[in-house]
Amino acid sequence: MKFTMPSAFRVLAGLAVAAGLASPAIVTLHAQAPSVAKPWTMPRTPDGKPDLQGTWSNATITPLERAQGVTNLVLSADEAARLEKATADRVERLNQDSDPNRPAPPQGGDGSTGAAGNVGGYNNFWLDPGERVAVVDGQFRSSLIIDPPDGRVPPTTPEARARAQARMKAMAGRGQYDHPEFRPLAERCLLSFGPTTPLVPNYFYNNNLQIVQTPDHVMILMEMVHDARIVRIGGTHVARHIRPWMGDSIGHWEGDTLVVETTNFPLQQPFRGAAENLKVTERFRRVDAGTINYRFTVEDPTTFSRPFTGEIPFRATDELIYEYACHEGNYAMSNVLSGARNEEKRLGTKK
Amino acid sequence: MNTRTTFGVLLLGAGLLLAGRSVIAHHAFGAEFDPNAPIRLQGKVVRLEWVNPHTWIHIETIKDGKPEIWMIEGGTPNTLLRRGVTRETVKVGTEIIVDGYQTKDHSLKRANGRDVTFTDGRKLFMGSSGTGAPKDGRDPTEAPKKPGGR
Repeated sequence: MKFTMPSAFRVLAGLAVAAGLASPAIVTLHAQAPSVAKPWTMPRTPDGKPDLQGTWSNATITPLERAQGVTNLVLSADEAARLEKATADRVERLNQDSDPNRPAPPQGGDGSTGAAGNVGGYNNFWLDPGERVAVVDGQFRSSLIIDPPDGRVPPTTPEARARAQARMKAMAGRGQYDHPEFRPLAERCLLSFGPTTPLVPNYFYNNNLQIVQTPDHVMILMEMVHDARIVRIGGTHVARHIRPWMGDSIGHWEGDTLVVETTNFPLQQPFRGAAENLKVTERFRRVDAGTINYRFTVEDPTTFSRPFTGEIPFRATDELIYEYACHEGNYAMSNVLSGARNEEKRLGTKK
Repeated sequence: MNTRTTFGVLLLGAGLLLAGRSVIAHHAFGAEFDPNAPIRLQGKVVRLEWVNPHTWIHIETIKDGKPEIWMIEGGTPNTLLRRGVTRETVKVGTEIIVDGYQTKDHSLKRANGRDVTFTDGRKLFMGSSGTGAPKDGRDPTEAPKKPGGR
């Protein structure tokens, strides 16, 4: 993806143009959906529990947090269609040919921000962030978060802010490239860059997961970094000091809903600043042949001023989940470290 | 807030979201590549590493009459595999143009594939716009999906 500043502006301009040009045909199409009303009975495993098994996608263009100033959780079919068309138009625009006589990009960087890091990342065709607005209970949603009512992650507590400052102070004087273990867990291929719990889409690629059930365990394999969460049915959490990479998950059934509670998260990869006292409760409810309604509640009174809850549709997919073997081909990690050493030599800043 | 204003805000939100995507990725590009070392390369593909976390396309370029092998970083191959694009899709010997930035380690001939195209400017691959290719069962022409992977 070319994350240049001009392209960021083009995105906004393009979305605005698309808003005015939404195709009536597409609007009509969505006015008819979603109306799948075939008789359906819950598939069940041999022990009588709802069968959640198979591959699912949580990809969507609905953001985790609602845009500032938008008050409604529910969008009209027309609004949803226009957002989807704007997304499709943007991809089409980024598919357009480049100038074969283009020069090298600008000296000093191309102005791209974020992970694109002023060097422009890579082409958009590598990405697969989702194409559709999330639909839950027949409603087009403007945010995945449904509570608080503003659809946004609640403010952090003073305690959490003090903790973040203390962490920065402890890191002062240590270069972020001075040791492999100072690099982020995702860069080290240990976990995905998205959260493993709750199962929020990463808005980038590979938003697929596979569920496998036995009477006493449920396994959730996420395509990204091939992370497999193992949920024990019943029992209690492990001791507080034990911190598995993806936390400690225990589940139980409430009627036909699988409820999973996860605590004991590792401190190295916090979710929105929460880790040590983070508790995530997930509810998996299969609502038709092609959908699991997934609801999650995030609690950590030492980080968030109040709990928050979101809903994501998991759509059945017959796409294959591919292996995401990360470590074996991770040139990036050594490039980052050797780059820092080489740059120190060139700039005469060697420690 | 009237409907038009609401939708304008929504679009702005979507735009920010798209821009915000650059916040996450397997690694920060600025940590690996040097904004002060822009490059434009043209050469023939000699090898494809169709691997995670990043695809690497090896090309042979000619500098001062001598061949050089450059490695170009792309994204995850998984998304392209799902569209039917494999390592065999781009044949060894295909000539391509790449613009990007060299790694901060200047002893390496590696760069990010900021824009990778054929020599006529066409993108090496196509992104999926979703038009005509939905995966969520909301297109009435699409057969209802059941979860695979069973």
